[in-house]
Amino acid sequence: MEFPEELRYTREHEWALDESGGRVRIGITDYAQDALGDVVYVDVPETGTEVRAGEPFGEVESTKSVSDVYSPVNGTVVERNPLLDERPELVNEEPYGDGWMIVVEVSDPDQLDDLMGAAEYRTFVEEVGEG
Amino acid sequence: MKSTDPALHRTPLEDEHRRLGARLGPFAGWLMPIEYGGTLAEHAAVRQGVGVFDLTHLGKLDVTGPEALDVLQRTVTNDVSRIEVGRAQYNMVLDDAGGIVDDLIVYRLGEDRYFVVPNAANTARVHEVLLDEAGGSRVDLVLHEDWSFLAVQGPRAVEVVGALLPEGAGLGYMGCAEARYRDVPLILARSGYTGERGFELFPPGGVVVDLWREILDSGGVVPVGLGARDTLRLEMGYPLHGQDISTERTPLEAGASWAVSFDKGPFRGRDALLRRREEGVPARLWGLRMLDRRIPRAHYPVFAGGDRVGETTSGTFSPTLRVGIALAYLEPAGRFTAGDRVEVDVRGRRAPAEVVKPPFVDRSPR
Repeated sequence: MEFPEELRYTREHEWALDESGGRVRIGITDYAQDALGDVVYVDVPETGTEVRAGEPFGEVESTKSVSDVYSPVNGTVVERNPLLDERPELVNEEPYGDGWMIVVEVSDPDQLDDLMGAAEYRTFVEEVGEG
Repeated sequence: MKSTDPALHRTPLEDEHRRLGARLGPFAGWLMPIEYGGTLAEHAAVRQGVGVFDLTHLGKLDVTGPEALDVLQRTVTNDVSRIEVGRAQYNMVLDDAGGIVDDLIVYRLGEDRYFVVPNAANTARVHEVLLDEAGGSRVDLVLHEDWSFLAVQGPRAVEVVGALLPEGAGLGYMGCAEARYRDVPLILARSGYTGERGFELFPPGGVVVDLWREILDSGGVVPVGLGARDTLRLEMGYPLHGQDISTERTPLEAGASWAVSFDKGPFRGRDALLRRREEGVPARLWGLRMLDRRIPRAHYPVFAGGDRVGETTSGTFSPTLRVGIALAYLEPAGRFTAGDRVEVDVRGRRAPAEVVKPPFVDRSPR
């Protein structure tokens, strides 16, 4: 299971990448996609939608269940991944790559400091796995 | 995941599943494989090639003796006297109010020898009902807790099973026979829950590991978990007890009147069912095919013309059709026909759907 160093992580298993200039790219983690199973539908908001940290911005449906996806930050959606409409399986295949979900413009990039780093998230996932 | 819960029953194939990388999960009191390589791939393997399932959790009950037929006639809904030796029949067990206690297949292996396979969660209850009906009769009931149950399903199933068990090659749909594997007798049937051609095998625990391995080594046979078993059965519109049918519903509502023989003589639930038929059937189980990309799950409200007309009982993404499908009780029973439009409340948003008479996919197990 991968935990890229450059990403920040939430307890709900989303990742956030600081692309500088106030842009934060968001998706779900390798752990999350593995736990969900085959992803068959992804509902992501239109650009211009306001998102709030800790609140759901979309849904991921797998063959067995549906899960909310939570925003790691406050801000406005400025890009949504158009590939996911036709190829939701990208979330399984490349959770940190072409399986990204939205890009959010944030007013305060310091918000990312509240999230976990890679090592901390790895420990968190291991504890979840044992629990 | 509490995969080590000591209260769960364990299949003798658990180590095999772990070696194959299965995700195991609790199901009806058993720790069973939910998926191996992914539900979509496993589903496709069964539709296009062949897959093997471990279904050890289901019940395996012998009903044998000169009065076996009479006991079964009083217990189940269908006319068991119509089953020829070497054939099988779909049945339901009802409670005194006509509610569905279980649905199961009755196999006839010999003149006085029957075999029934209840759902895992209902095995104890069905056994109890049979014991009750058998009281004082010349009949032996044996619950085979040490037997396993493997299903081999898919277009290539006849080829795979026929090569291992020659007795299977000649069996027609819903046929059954006793076969021998390594000199050990086992029950073999041309039945299933996927909509594909296939076999169900009931080997004693002692040979199940060897048989499982040999089936997987036949070439191109994919292990399939309970996740794909659910998507496969739902594409055919087969009801699952505990979800789509229960003691809260009768065979009349579930569209299973064809499995009820009112004129064969008395059976559990018959009088109540006749009464309820006269009173009028309140709802009817239908298929729903989504017209947008939303995916229905169980217990979503269904609306038509602004009225709430029912609720889904099962729902999933159909891997074959690439859209959401569901089963739902719609009321009143006579209001709907195939092709009608309804709306499913998918977590607060209404999504359009079409009423369908299952199966959703054009497949046949024959």
